[in-house]
Amino acid sequence: MEKIVTEKIHGGKLVRIKINFEKNIENIKITGDFFLYPEESIEKIENSLIGIDKNSSEEIITNKIKKIVKENNIELIGIDEESISKLIIKSIS
Amino acid sequence: MKWRIIPLHVTNGFTAMAIDEAVSESVKEGSDSTIRFWRWNPSTVSIGYFQGIEDEVNLNECKKNNIDVVRRRTGGGAVYHDYNGEITYSVIGKEEIFPKSIHESYNIICGWVIKGLSNIGIDSKFIPINDIIASGKKISGNAQTRRNGVLLQHGTILYDLDVNKMFSLLKISKEKISDKMIKSVEDRVTKIKNFKNIDIEEAYNAIMKGFTINKEFYIGKLTNEEINRAKELASEKYSSKKWNYMR
Repeated sequence: MEKIVTEKIHGGKLVRIKINFEKNIENIKITGDFFLYPEESIEKIENSLIGIDKNSSEEIITNKIKKIVKENNIELIGIDEESISKLIIKSIS
Repeated sequence: MKWRIIPLHVTNGFTAMAIDEAVSESVKEGSDSTIRFWRWNPSTVSIGYFQGIEDEVNLNECKKNNIDVVRRRTGGGAVYHDYNGEITYSVIGKEEIFPKSIHESYNIICGWVIKGLSNIGIDSKFIPINDIIASGKKISGNAQTRRNGVLLQHGTILYDLDVNKMFSLLKISKEKISDKMIKSVEDRVTKIKNFKNIDIEEAYNAIMKGFTINKEFYIGKLTNEEINRAKELASEKYSSKKWNYMR
């Protein structure tokens, strides 16, 4: 199943999640007009989410993103781990 | 330190993005920090690094109007850069000459734009994350990246704008507009010409002075190495499908 969810983050930027999933997340793209440094590490965040059970809690997904962000010294501007996670939950539930 | 100023010139969008990267590389190797001004010919739509090209741009309409489309290496939103509609700048310098905080460094560089606008008699202010507004409307959008110890910030200063043309080329997201509770993009964008009827050269001179005041600088040009590297990046990266359709 493919879903696309778009949201303007309060006080932040526009984020669009394009997600393919059945029982697990099979593919995900996070697009929008936010800033993230270093830019190419967006793929590390996306790749870390592939395989996640679609019934996972928001907390599990947030923590997964936070771990990658910390490990790779990623800086997010106009977007945060919680809002990505919320959008993912919204798209797969 | 002395800044190299590269005065207003005209370039296509692929080359413009390639020059920013080529100069970033040469600044990393020790070249002088650089401020560059340019206009886009042909007019071009640029999209932010993280945006989906097909989500943001009416590609058929661009093709019909001979408008190029290029992905930037900076984040932020899609912008229609009209040849007659804007003055664009890049600031490229070693990260160490700017505050570590992204917000503060935006504030400093946007301050140069604000100073330039004040030279025209336009009162404007920086609104985080990356906008400058005048009379409550956006007049300048800016985007920054940092890589290999070099900061690049480029931004646009709206001189004139054909809103209908912009609407026809960009897919404006209704989520973005509804959040600001404003009916249309036209209501939230302004331009130098709304404040003063001056020609673009005159506007550029005022803006340039805003960037150079209180700085040691010289008027320079790109080196042959930078030009050659930019040609390479324009053809291999910025005009490639692989880069522009990456997301």
